[in-house]
Amino acid sequence: MGIFYINKARGIYIPVLALVAIGIVMVYSSTALMSTKEFGSSFHYLKNHLFTVSLGLAAMLLLSQINYLKLRPLAIALLILGLILLVLVFVPGIGLSANGARRWLRLWPTTFQPSEFVKLALVIFLADYMAKYGHKMRDFRYGILIPASIMLFFQGIIIIQPDFGAVMSLGILTIGMIFLGGARLKHIGACILCALPVVVFLLVSKPYRMKRITAFLDPWADPLGSGFQLVQSFIAFGSGSIFGVGIGDSKQKLFFLPEVHTDFIFSLIGEELGLIGVLIVVGLFLWLFIRGIWVARKASDTFSHYLAFGLTIMIGCQALINFAVTTGLMPTKGLPLPFISYGGSAQLINMAAMGILISIAKRNEEERFEQFHRPLFVAGESRERPVNRRLRESLFKKAI
Amino acid sequence: MRRRGAEKAETKKLWDEDLSNIHLKKSKRKAVILATVICFGFAVISIRLVNLMVLNHKTLSQKASRQYDRVKTIKPYRGVVWDRKMREMAVNIETDSLYAVPSKINDTKFLSSKLAPIIKTSAADLNKKIIAKKGKGFIWLARKMDENASARVATLRNELGIKTIDFFTETRRNYPNGETASHILGYANIDNRGLEGIELKYDKYMKGEDIEVTFTRDALGNSMSGGTEDAVPGNNILLTIDESLQYIVEREISNAMEEWKAKAAVAIMMNPMTGEILAMANRPSYNPNFPAGVPGDKRRNRAITDLYEPGSTFKSFLAAAAIEEKIVRLDERFDVSQGFIVVGKKAIKDVHRHGVITFEEIIQKSSNVGAVKTGLRLGATRYYEYMKKFGFGDKTGIDLPGEMRGILRRPQNWSGTSIAALSIGQEIGVTPLQLLRGYAAIANGGLLMKPYVVSEIISPAGEVIKNFSPQVERRVISTETAIKTRNILKKVVEEGGTARKAYIKGNLVAGKTGTAQMVDPATGRYSSNKFVSSFVGFVPADNPAFALIVVVYEPVGGSYGGTVAAPVFKRISEHALTYLDVPMEMDENRVLLVTDAR
Repeated sequence: MGIFYINKARGIYIPVLALVAIGIVMVYSSTALMSTKEFGSSFHYLKNHLFTVSLGLAAMLLLSQINYLKLRPLAIALLILGLILLVLVFVPGIGLSANGARRWLRLWPTTFQPSEFVKLALVIFLADYMAKYGHKMRDFRYGILIPASIMLFFQGIIIIQPDFGAVMSLGILTIGMIFLGGARLKHIGACILCALPVVVFLLVSKPYRMKRITAFLDPWADPLGSGFQLVQSFIAFGSGSIFGVGIGDSKQKLFFLPEVHTDFIFSLIGEELGLIGVLIVVGLFLWLFIRGIWVARKASDTFSHYLAFGLTIMIGCQALINFAVTTGLMPTKGLPLPFISYGGSAQLINMAAMGILISIAKRNEEERFEQFHRPLFVAGESRERPVNRRLRESLFKKAI
Repeated sequence: MRRRGAEKAETKKLWDEDLSNIHLKKSKRKAVILATVICFGFAVISIRLVNLMVLNHKTLSQKASRQYDRVKTIKPYRGVVWDRKMREMAVNIETDSLYAVPSKINDTKFLSSKLAPIIKTSAADLNKKIIAKKGKGFIWLARKMDENASARVATLRNELGIKTIDFFTETRRNYPNGETASHILGYANIDNRGLEGIELKYDKYMKGEDIEVTFTRDALGNSMSGGTEDAVPGNNILLTIDESLQYIVEREISNAMEEWKAKAAVAIMMNPMTGEILAMANRPSYNPNFPAGVPGDKRRNRAITDLYEPGSTFKSFLAAAAIEEKIVRLDERFDVSQGFIVVGKKAIKDVHRHGVITFEEIIQKSSNVGAVKTGLRLGATRYYEYMKKFGFGDKTGIDLPGEMRGILRRPQNWSGTSIAALSIGQEIGVTPLQLLRGYAAIANGGLLMKPYVVSEIISPAGEVIKNFSPQVERRVISTETAIKTRNILKKVVEEGGTARKAYIKGNLVAGKTGTAQMVDPATGRYSSNKFVSSFVGFVPADNPAFALIVVVYEPVGGSYGGTVAAPVFKRISEHALTYLDVPMEMDENRVLLVTDAR
């Protein structure tokens, strides 16, 4: 029983650390040339990345040592902190805008993206909320209205930045979690139907989003214009074949593939490491995902269960969406690949999330250990509670 | 009461706990459903990856190489041209060529306005040129710029940070001697393709082989890596031309052009023993370094392309034929005191009255009447045969492009006066080279040689690929006849001959003057003031170092070959003999006075 409880959560540690390691190599491979061009040294981006990776590792280890149940009373506070950070983005001097979007906070020596933090805060909040109002989740008010309003509130702020990718992932997270929490499927379905026109409006309102959709449908129609990024991504994958062109030998990173170090790093892995490389990455995410679900399944109380599940799909869905985007199965949107892509905030938050997940796994293990070693009969205590059996049955029926 | 309340609270707590346990169980089931859906998503991704990376590998990697690979054609070094003493006549120098990448240019107008003054075009034209290739990856803006212009473009490029234009090093053909030997060398165009002269004739040897090298480039258009192979350089050419002799010849005919305000002038120097051309010069001339816009008149190698009526210089061949056929004795007397002879309806006159003269004197004094009489005695068929044997009416086969055959009609097409006209070198079109070759045959003892200007083709490594040795076409006359004819020709330069002005101190000259009237294109008759003055001969007469022909077209203020061309012959020969270090055969006091010039 080492201090990091690696044994108890190795199914999370190993894939995360492996992915982070792949990420470091690929970030260097993708940025060396760009960095040399912009800063004169090939290590500029790598240094930044290593800095955030070490921050993330520290956060992960720290949170894995802390009992995550201590986070539960902070759920609302964290959400409010997220809100404040989001608002601060719009304050000139603190907020930082790049490429026509205000998404970052100026934070020496780097920048921070509050929308990433909001994802984590929302997961914790929803876990707490659903654990508290579990029996009311079938009501439209508790099951849909309240979580959806909170979600929409945050989405509304984030869309102003704008960050369509974050809006999408918040939506998927919330829907996934309330479905799990017991919200009625027909309520959720109705809500999605109502939201559809809004989504369509948001798509149409900005021509670049519309272009992304058309480019997604047929990237080869305009391979030098709107379809450029996707076509370049395809070319990267296609050149990789089974064994890849070798680490560092990518040609697509020679400024052909935009965002090669962030959103499209998966394509670069495809080119340099081949089908084997990408399947290893997909496999590591799948391993992590299944372990996460396993942790959620093993949880003994609803909060732990919801939290573990939320954190797992937060990572799993982001990875899946990123895969789908780079392989042309979904329209392009700005979502980095967790643990691998260059980008500080996402790296930090995702690793912090894994820290919480490890903490949950650890507690599960401890409980199981306790249960297993619990004496069958302890004087003065009985497992069976003196409850009116009839009452119990009626309640059970009502609940179902 | 209190106890009941506590019990109730505990019951509620237990209900809640149980309820949440129920929720937990249901939720866990749902979690598995959701996880299955997401795992399915992962499976779809994997299939998609296999599809993209394995099944579409071929088409996609083709598209990939299409966008990285740029095939650049590396131009080879063109072979160098040397004179017979390995002095460079044509070389290559490295220059900058400017190109642009039109697909990357955003502000064509701005770029055009900046570049146009340096590369000497108008901004509007340049703009149009670039826009026409919009979307293309390459366009030449200026080829082979001079150093000054390329330096200015380079500064402009750095100052404005323009990355859409760049240089490419190309070699430009350079002729270090400028106009000298321009008609032999010809010139190569901007793509290093030979267009005239040796450059054209030996293009396939000199051009070398292009090589296509695939460069990898990044999306910004920078070449990242590329082949290091070099194109196969062309073979070098060793000429029979001697640069010094060429220079002497060119200088002297230039002077003659000026002195006589002539329209054109040609001089060819040949080694009569081998057929090697030692020098071949034409005026007007041009500088092959700047061939653009030079009119054809200046580019033409008149020595092999221009036909003229040789006039009296042709009488030597008549004499040779007559001697070979033994129809005359050298000391046989001809009465030409009448001063004219009527053949058919045509009267042919002498310039001077000569009285009764020997056969030798007919040539020495260039008597037309005597020549006609000899011609009539020889007869059309035999005379034609000899002319044909001497190579008239046929190409000499010199290795220069554009040679003319000349005009020699068959006897059956001759008119009644043709035999007379041909006896004095009319009604026949020859090139200066043809005539010189005929004289060379007399000089070398009767062998007609094939003239040539390239002696060796040498590979870049220094091996001789092709060696051109002297080639005998045929024997034209016997050695005795050749010696007899040569002795007559010596007398032309002696006292009483027509070309005293060709006399050279120390060495005997054998040669013949020629003065032909030109046909006036307006009237179709012989012009009274347009002449072609020529002198052709060889020095030293008995052991010739070279045969030389000088032809001056349309001199003003003089017409006779003896006056116009003979002095040029003399000056060239004197310098050439000194240069060639030919020993003097005679002492200086055998100087004879010049009286008559014809």
